[in-house]
Amino acid sequence: MLMTGEQYIESLRKLKTRVYMFGEKVENWVDHPIIRPSINSVAMTYELAHDPQYEDLMTAKSNLTGEKVNRFSHLHQSTEDLVKKVKMQRLLGQKTGSCFQRCVGMDAFNAVYSTTYDIDKKYGTDYHKRFVDYLKYVQEEDLTVDGAMTDPKGDRSKAPSAQEDKDLYLHVVEKREDGIVVRGAKAHQTGSINSHEHLIMPTIALREEDKAYAVSFAVPSDAEGLFMIYGRQSCDTRKLEEGADIDLGNKKFGGQEALVVFDDVFVPNERVFMCEEYDFAGVLVERFAGYHRQSYGGCKVGVGDVLIGAAALAADYNGVNKASHIKDKLIEMTHLNETLYCCGIACSSEGYPTEAGNYQIDMLLANVCKQNVTRFPYEIVRLAEDIAGGLMVTMPSEQDFRSDLKVGKNGETIGEICNKYLVGSPAATTEERMRVLRLIENLALGTAAVGYRTESMHGAGSPQAQRIMIARQGNIEAKKELAKVIAGIKKN
Amino acid sequence: MKIITERFDLKLKCGVRFCGGCNPRYDRGRALEKIKDYFKDRIEFSYAKEDVDYDILLVIGGCTNNCASFSQFNSKLGSIKMWSEDHIDKVIEELEGILLKSN
Repeated sequence: MLMTGEQYIESLRKLKTRVYMFGEKVENWVDHPIIRPSINSVAMTYELAHDPQYEDLMTAKSNLTGEKVNRFSHLHQSTEDLVKKVKMQRLLGQKTGSCFQRCVGMDAFNAVYSTTYDIDKKYGTDYHKRFVDYLKYVQEEDLTVDGAMTDPKGDRSKAPSAQEDKDLYLHVVEKREDGIVVRGAKAHQTGSINSHEHLIMPTIALREEDKAYAVSFAVPSDAEGLFMIYGRQSCDTRKLEEGADIDLGNKKFGGQEALVVFDDVFVPNERVFMCEEYDFAGVLVERFAGYHRQSYGGCKVGVGDVLIGAAALAADYNGVNKASHIKDKLIEMTHLNETLYCCGIACSSEGYPTEAGNYQIDMLLANVCKQNVTRFPYEIVRLAEDIAGGLMVTMPSEQDFRSDLKVGKNGETIGEICNKYLVGSPAATTEERMRVLRLIENLALGTAAVGYRTESMHGAGSPQAQRIMIARQGNIEAKKELAKVIAGIKKN
Repeated sequence: MKIITERFDLKLKCGVRFCGGCNPRYDRGRALEKIKDYFKDRIEFSYAKEDVDYDILLVIGGCTNNCASFSQFNSKLGSIKMWSEDHIDKVIEELEGILLKSN
């Protein structure tokens, strides 16, 4: 059953997820003004699946059940599926102007599916069947799942078992006949509070001495012992201001991250997909990271579309839209954005089937994609700020624009003064100019900058992680041979 | 009442399939509305479903790639594809041709 956006929001109310923010427990987190925009973003992944104009990207036929499912819970069955995934992400970036959070689950499904197949093949375990049963449940219920990988990691120079505090990487603390007990945390978890379930994976390649950390499993978000501490975002408390609208830049949508804590959580055997098979931890990490680096070639592009549009509007409203350097900056922004899209499409088109049957992206091109994502959004933002002008960060608040407090010698109100001096071209009202400048502010350095800037840098792995993969996949020796032939060098 | 039902059944049934709209170069929904307006009640347009038999499929893409999937739908006379606003007239012409033949 495909849920609607409203059904998704109502389904969250049934969960007893424990959420903390500003040092206190949040009882009604579904309607909390800081959290709700991020829920609205996820709701769009449900809503668009019912719209005939977007259905072709938003849904797919499940290879497990034969039923129509939301693409976010689909196992990619072809390169066409991989391409459509990227297109769907671009679409959602355009519709929300923020991180819509559901990609991590989709990327985890595809990585865990093929890795459990490989583990079973080597060790004769039954993880793959367990996972298939779990994914059928997710597809049938149309659930949002947080694919959680990143451990806090403590002292980066030490392996998990060498850490002073052993909990700095999530690990198995007890093995029972009916399941396992895990302890630790996952940091920076995108959309965790908005997810029905959590699908956990290890965060790095592991050695035998770290086998307790080689664990993958799924639990409901309200499992006993599991809780979340909300990650604050720049300018987040603007959402608490009474009647906040224009100053938010993007009133309806947003992203979300949290620290997810596993305080001795029990996981029944049927939900365990890896337990101590340390030699497959690196494979799982690599596959998940590959998919997620592909994802950024879609989602960030969609948000980039919104930012480019906002910059173009700002140019119109400032009356500089005909200036050649402005036109050129918009061209440059478009060029950078579409380059990211090219990478997302390319690594998808060059995908290949895994032994389990689902499709994996081209690893080299996916890493090149993400490496570009660590740079280009910053340049796109820089150009947007250049076009917008300083007013995007010096503008009075919307309360000032609405204030009827008389302050001028002729009885002018604060609102009238603001409107008089901050008017732009006749193409827009002062309020419209304010709105678009606040949207740029939101993406450049407000709440959405978490998703568009720093997440572009560190999400799906920091830049150096991609460079390691590019070095591994770059095939330099073959390139040397090419050069030898052209240069007439006969030495082997 | 029976006569009205029979007349309804005689109308050409056109299943409509959109691409997913990741970066459409024109308003695909408005293009469909223009085509529907032109034919008024002569063609029955509906969003394509897998368990329905159509006379013809109209596949509306947002760009030249026109990546919409449509092989899963049943159509007696195949499909007409468009990926630009400029194609509206061509689509109307093709549908008129089909109506002419079916009469």
